[in-house]
Amino acid sequence: MSIIDFFYSLTLGALFAIGVFQLLRRDLIKSVMGFGLLFTGVNLFLLASGAFRGEVAPYTTNYEAGAQTSDPIVQALILTAVVVSFGSYALLLAMVNIASRRYGTVDSDEITNLTK
Amino acid sequence: MENNFFILLTAFMPLFTALATLLLVTYNKAQRWVGLIGGLLTWASSLIVLGQVLDIGIQTYRMGGYVPPYGIVLVADNLSALFAVMGSTVMLAGLMYVLQSREKSVTYPTFLPLFLFMETGLLGAMLTGDLFTFFVFLELMVLSSVAMVAISDNPFGLEAAIKYVFISGMGSLFLLLGIAAMYTTFGTLNLADMAQQLATGDRPLLARSAAIMLMSSFLLKSAVFPFHFWQPDFHTTAPTAVSAMLSSVIVKVGIYMIIRTLTLLFTEEAAQLQQLLIVLGIVGIFFGSLAALRTYNGKRVLAYSTIAQVGFILVAIGWGTPVALAAAIVYAFNHAFIKSSLLMIMGLVASRSYEHSVDFVDIEGAGRMMPPLIGILWFLGSMSLAGVPPMNGFISKLGIVQSGVELGQWIPLGLAVSSGALTLLYMFRTWQRVFQQKKEVKLKILAYGDGMIAPTFLIAICILLGIYARPLVIIAEQTALQISDPQIYIDAVRLFSGG
Repeated sequence: MSIIDFFYSLTLGALFAIGVFQLLRRDLIKSVMGFGLLFTGVNLFLLASGAFRGEVAPYTTNYEAGAQTSDPIVQALILTAVVVSFGSYALLLAMVNIASRRYGTVDSDEITNLTK
Repeated sequence: MENNFFILLTAFMPLFTALATLLLVTYNKAQRWVGLIGGLLTWASSLIVLGQVLDIGIQTYRMGGYVPPYGIVLVADNLSALFAVMGSTVMLAGLMYVLQSREKSVTYPTFLPLFLFMETGLLGAMLTGDLFTFFVFLELMVLSSVAMVAISDNPFGLEAAIKYVFISGMGSLFLLLGIAAMYTTFGTLNLADMAQQLATGDRPLLARSAAIMLMSSFLLKSAVFPFHFWQPDFHTTAPTAVSAMLSSVIVKVGIYMIIRTLTLLFTEEAAQLQQLLIVLGIVGIFFGSLAALRTYNGKRVLAYSTIAQVGFILVAIGWGTPVALAAAIVYAFNHAFIKSSLLMIMGLVASRSYEHSVDFVDIEGAGRMMPPLIGILWFLGSMSLAGVPPMNGFISKLGIVQSGVELGQWIPLGLAVSSGALTLLYMFRTWQRVFQQKKEVKLKILAYGDGMIAPTFLIAICILLGIYARPLVIIAEQTALQISDPQIYIDAVRLFSGG
């Protein structure tokens, strides 16, 4: 395991841990932040599955013969996943914004008490 | 056939219609008619796909002409085509309901485009043969349904929508983790290619954990017992047309994917997973039925009942023999029509009540003062849900009992059948409180409300599928035989092999 792999997995684990912790907070805005962090973690996990196999960029003509290219599919997947997660992140923030005006609070417990 | 245009049309016609309706945001009337025409075209093309699949065999469409596994491929086998017909039919009824609905949220200019985006996601997720494309379609479906619930007339729709985005986001997260694990293991995203490698090669630990991650996210999307807690709020606060779709066809995407992955990909792990599904199904049946019995809101009763009915389907999938799988498919197909019609009828009652609510305190005895057709439709629908002949609910219950007797699974069967009595109990309790009871105080009832065409259409289909059930049962049996052998699916996709 190279040094970059070690730090990469460490970052991934940290992102997941912080994300889950923030997601379980009572403050909805902090939960949304945690949601964003978690999705970043998953995107990095997706990147790890193909990024470190090759040394040079794919689909270029000026690499030496025998050099292994990195996997371009995971990068396309991440691009899509980033768009999807960014969309849900923005939608969530917009809904929390309206919720704060409609219910007068962003505390999830207080909002739940309103529904009863 | 390699390039069947109608598969593309079924999945993407709603998308084009949604874009057309977005251009017509200032013309409310034209927008609704364009939406309905788009729904009709989608329905027709999904029926054509089903006919071709039954006649010729599995159909595929290669997006951009690339050979799988390098390109994305849309696959319609019996299972996908049948579920797509179910989805497009119920969605068509939903569009009819939208056309006649008097709710405020339905008149917003972006409502109809969102509704059609939801249909795109639903049909695309059922027709795709690629795991990542499934994820994208699923997210499209989830986000558009969330937006529609958030703009609902009910002030607490927003709270339910936020709750659902968080929970569904966790589900999508696990789905994406599972997809990444599958891609790392097999270097492909194509379902047929994965199935081929799983059938011939060994099974690394990462693929097994991916099975668990994928399965839990599908269970979450179809609101199965331990992941059910968001469902009643989300399905109750939505606008009527949307809640009818959510509780009937949207939960079936998870069911479809459970059947697909168990029969195509994880055939060796299936035995253990199916044991789990039986237990979850039985618990779900009892939880849903008992919770429906002590609920005092017409739509909430139906939302809890969905948990119970999904439990029946899971038990049948858990038994796993071709007969049981056919029973599960018939049950899923019939339940979509019954549940959507019942929710629409509750919407009719709500739209005519003075408070626009379906709490029993507000609408107790209100049914007596409404057009008698509403009461008749509700009676027929609840008979169907409880499994009384000649409605189609009887056919689905019969299939479950038949497969249970054949397997000798007496304990799950006994539990499932006895809870059928609970279904009868909670449906008749609602019928009696809303449509039979007399109230001393004079209730105020509006003279107008939502139109009755859509629920009548769905109840007519229920009666038709009950009296003339033979074609559906035969198709379901063929489907069960077809999905029992993964090789048929793999051969039909015709993967690129060397050269």
